[in-house]
Amino acid sequence: MGVSHSSKEAWERESRSDFWWTQIQEGFRSQSDFNWDQIKQLHQRFRLLSGDQPTIRPENFDYVLDLEFNPIRSRIVRAFFDNRNLGKGTSGLAEEIGFEDFLTIISYFKPLRSHFSKEEAELYRREKLRFLFHMYDEDGDGVITLQEYRRVVEDLLSANPQVERAWVRSIANSIACRALKEAARVSGHPRQEDQPYQAITFEDFVKTWQGIDLEVKMRVNFLNQEAAAL
Amino acid sequence: MLRAALLLLWLPLAGAGATDKPTQEPVSLGEPPPGLALFRWQWHEVEAPYLVALWILVASLAKIVFHLSRKVTSLVPESCLLILLGLVLGGIVLAVAKKAEYQLEPGTFFLFLLPPIVLDSGYFMPSRLFFDNLGAILTYAVVGTLWNAFTTGVALWGLQQAGFVGPRVQAGLLDFLLFGSLISAVDPVAVLAVFEEVHVNETLFIIVFGESLLNDAVTVVLYKVCNSFVEMGSANVQATDYLKGVASLFVVSLGGAAVGLVFAFLLALTTRFTKRVRIIEPLLVFLLAYAAYLTAEMASLSAILAVTMCGLGCKKYVEANISHKSRTAVKYTMKTLASCAETVIFMLLGISAVDSSKWAWDSGLVLGTLFFILFFRALGVVLQTWVLNQFRLVPLDKIDQVVMSYGGLRGAVAFALVILLDRTKVPAKDYFVATTIVVVFFTVIVQGLTIKPLVKWLRVKRSDHHKPTLNQELHEHTFDHILAAVEDVVGHHGYHYWRDRWEQFDKKYLSQLLMRRSAYRIRDQIWDVYYRLNIRDAISFVDQGGHVLSSTGLSLPSMPSRNSVAETSVTNLLRESGSGACLDLQVIDTVRSGRDREDAVMHHLLCGGLYKPRRRYKASCGRHFISEDAQERQDKEVFQQNMKRRLESFKSTKHNICFTKSKPRPRKTGHKKKDGVANPEATNGKPPRDLGFQDTGAVILTVESEEEEESDSSETEKEDDEGIIFVARATSEVLQEGKVSGSLEVCPSPRIIPPSPTCAEKELPWKSGQGDLAVYVSSETTKIVPVDMQTGWNQSISSLESLASPPCTQPPTLTRLPPHPLGMEETQLPLDMSSDPRSSFAFPPSLAKAGRSRSESSADLPQQQELQPLMGHKDHTHLSPGTANSHWCIQFNRGGRL
Repeated sequence: MGVSHSSKEAWERESRSDFWWTQIQEGFRSQSDFNWDQIKQLHQRFRLLSGDQPTIRPENFDYVLDLEFNPIRSRIVRAFFDNRNLGKGTSGLAEEIGFEDFLTIISYFKPLRSHFSKEEAELYRREKLRFLFHMYDEDGDGVITLQEYRRVVEDLLSANPQVERAWVRSIANSIACRALKEAARVSGHPRQEDQPYQAITFEDFVKTWQGIDLEVKMRVNFLNQEAAAL
Repeated sequence: MLRAALLLLWLPLAGAGATDKPTQEPVSLGEPPPGLALFRWQWHEVEAPYLVALWILVASLAKIVFHLSRKVTSLVPESCLLILLGLVLGGIVLAVAKKAEYQLEPGTFFLFLLPPIVLDSGYFMPSRLFFDNLGAILTYAVVGTLWNAFTTGVALWGLQQAGFVGPRVQAGLLDFLLFGSLISAVDPVAVLAVFEEVHVNETLFIIVFGESLLNDAVTVVLYKVCNSFVEMGSANVQATDYLKGVASLFVVSLGGAAVGLVFAFLLALTTRFTKRVRIIEPLLVFLLAYAAYLTAEMASLSAILAVTMCGLGCKKYVEANISHKSRTAVKYTMKTLASCAETVIFMLLGISAVDSSKWAWDSGLVLGTLFFILFFRALGVVLQTWVLNQFRLVPLDKIDQVVMSYGGLRGAVAFALVILLDRTKVPAKDYFVATTIVVVFFTVIVQGLTIKPLVKWLRVKRSDHHKPTLNQELHEHTFDHILAAVEDVVGHHGYHYWRDRWEQFDKKYLSQLLMRRSAYRIRDQIWDVYYRLNIRDAISFVDQGGHVLSSTGLSLPSMPSRNSVAETSVTNLLRESGSGACLDLQVIDTVRSGRDREDAVMHHLLCGGLYKPRRRYKASCGRHFISEDAQERQDKEVFQQNMKRRLESFKSTKHNICFTKSKPRPRKTGHKKKDGVANPEATNGKPPRDLGFQDTGAVILTVESEEEEESDSSETEKEDDEGIIFVARATSEVLQEGKVSGSLEVCPSPRIIPPSPTCAEKELPWKSGQGDLAVYVSSETTKIVPVDMQTGWNQSISSLESLASPPCTQPPTLTRLPPHPLGMEETQLPLDMSSDPRSSFAFPPSLAKAGRSRSESSADLPQQQELQPLMGHKDHTHLSPGTANSHWCIQFNRGGRL
């Protein structure tokens, strides 16, 4: 997946231009945690994906062949264009994203800095969780309904090519149901007599994550310090 | 394996047998040969296995005694207690026999005692955690062990050069390196014994433990290389030998791992074909794993690595292939053997230490060794961690490093290796033995005793014993995919990328090759967790008496819904819930005579006399959506039950005479007649009868209609309800049957239901014993059915796994409707029910045909092959007659009534 020769040259040309500098400035402004090498590398990748355009459109992700088999591919691609993740609004999808937005999304996978205070770490954790929450909450109404959860489960289950669709559909619902109930229990949601638990709010969602070391999970090695060595 | 267990102590005890013999022999030989002895005392024939058994018994009893006091075991690790016990026992033996008898023989240790422990740890290794930390584990195992061996060896040699070690210790640099190589390896047995009680966090545990397992290869190589160098004499060692030594490291480790993987492959492949001989499944696991060990040992590869890899590699596939019971058997046998071996090892270690004839003391050497192994271990850990932390996502902090350095326990492996030394080649062997014993005792007793307080004092992150929740499982899967995707997007082929690739490869090829078709189709981790959680809930539900709405009440309703899913995915059920019991007639549960009678009687009692617990359960659980009329309905139902019983007794007396007509008809006529009779019998005679069934339908309808008004999420509860009220499912099935049989010709599931009662009836006594069935199913049928159904069943069983998916996939769609279709169904259900309830219950033509075909012997086997779900049902009934029977009984009644 290296950068093709021509685009590399183009990038080198570009890298001396003002465009590159503004990109970097912006990149640093928004994501001060990325270092030079990372930004450079990400920019290469961005240009490869976008085909040397300043923005990426969802179709551009079709070029990532490895992504093809990912069962939640569409969700991931959508996450890149989700206004909520980009901090551009409360709902809806962006048509295209620039390099800065690209960095914003990638920065969700940054490792936690060790010098963070406890509050900062918690804030950071919630940010990461929000990203995942948005991936589940498709319609952006702030809750994960059973339907939404069920679709997630279906997607996950369909990762196995041998599993029949019919079976997946039939058990996805019951799994989602159970998960929902579990979330209700974990979050200490008061059990109402007449009204079953409807949907997972973000607060409840955070609570279901208790016991999982999120910092271990939601980070990509590439964004670690040793990226410079790559 | 049993033989191995018996042989366990053969070798060490052989000596004891020899001493006992003289005293016993006169007794046995003193008998006059010609006469028929009433009583013969033949101790010498049984003594060896007898002593083995006795020793294990003593060890086990000691364990029990230790655990009588919680206080002691919470403070002192079991391994310490066992070693001390061994010391005491050794002392007693020494006092009685005047010489030390028992020894931890290296041969016994390596061939019989070690494999079960390693297999246990490899098989139950949390593989995900292991591979996540593989880099660190390998570093510590390879670099760390090399470092420890060399530094300790060289430092000891330096110590000797400096004159701190007595001149009696005749050893050169190579001897010290050899000693260093055997003393430096962290011992898996000791580590496991201590760390299992300490409960440090998972990462820390897996690193220390993984290191102790994987460093075996390094230890073996180092030991062998040094040993051969010593034997060759340092003068003869050439440069190529060093190169060979380095090369052999790779050969031994990779070769061992390869042997393990090959056997894991074989094992997985073998278990794929054991579906008719379930009983040997556990044995296969042990045999092949042991074969892996012996093969590696034979080729002088790393045997520990081989077994570890074998256990690690085969688990996923084996667990999917073997039956649920076999899985339990494997688990318990493995744990038993491992704990047995561990106990014996520590006890023998203690006993061996008593034999002072074999060891010679040198304070300088002992103290020096103790100091160096602790010092260099700590130093090595710090250095390596520093390097590793540059790359690790989660750096290991200082506390972790302290625990890791302190947790480097030495144990029986070192002892066995040092015993194996050749005294003629290594003149200082006795000193090394003494030092090794002291080091092992020190690490196991002193470090073992203090590590718990240390961990507490340092406030090491403990492992939180949270049960895995479904949400977390789902989230983690999502995460795996997200991370893989992000790595794809940023074009970085990191860990997640390769893991993702591997999983795809596994799903595409390996699983298909190594798992039963029925297994891999529905094999999914999310599903597994879901299934396990449901089972746990079910168990806790039963434990609570089955009627208390527990604090986990929210999750309870989903238990039956799992059932319904499981029923639909028959293959799963066959595999999961002890299918072997019912399907394989030769297997364990074949004996179903007297007990089953009892069951049958009990069943009748319960069925007739009791208000169905299921229903009550459902009513209480569903309270939050049908709160008001639950009690009311309950009462009604009790009433119906009573009425039904009366009617049934009446019917049976009256109708036994009339129902000996030709086969296909009886049902119809029976129904009519019954009604005819019922009407006069009681004023509302018909209602109770039909209500018994009809009303349940109505119940569900109310539930569903109520829920329809609620939003999507309430579909949850509805689904659950379907599961709980089996009747409900039955009705909807029948309804769909009516519909489906018209439209879909191939659809298997609907047709299954009616014939099934007869199938089950044949298998389960209480089915045939049931009142109304006895009435409606003529004697002719019962004669014919068993034979031909038997064949049909067998074929269906066999066809089950060979058949392509349809049978197992269709049911779910039909019985458990996904929400969308259900929406349609719901609207139609009430209509059907209200308009003509009876017609909906009548057998659709296809069903009647199916029923008829039964008498026409094997006329349509294909249909019978599709009886699969049935078997699923029957499985359930058999396993838990008390609960699941109600379901059946209802179906039967339905069949009878029609």
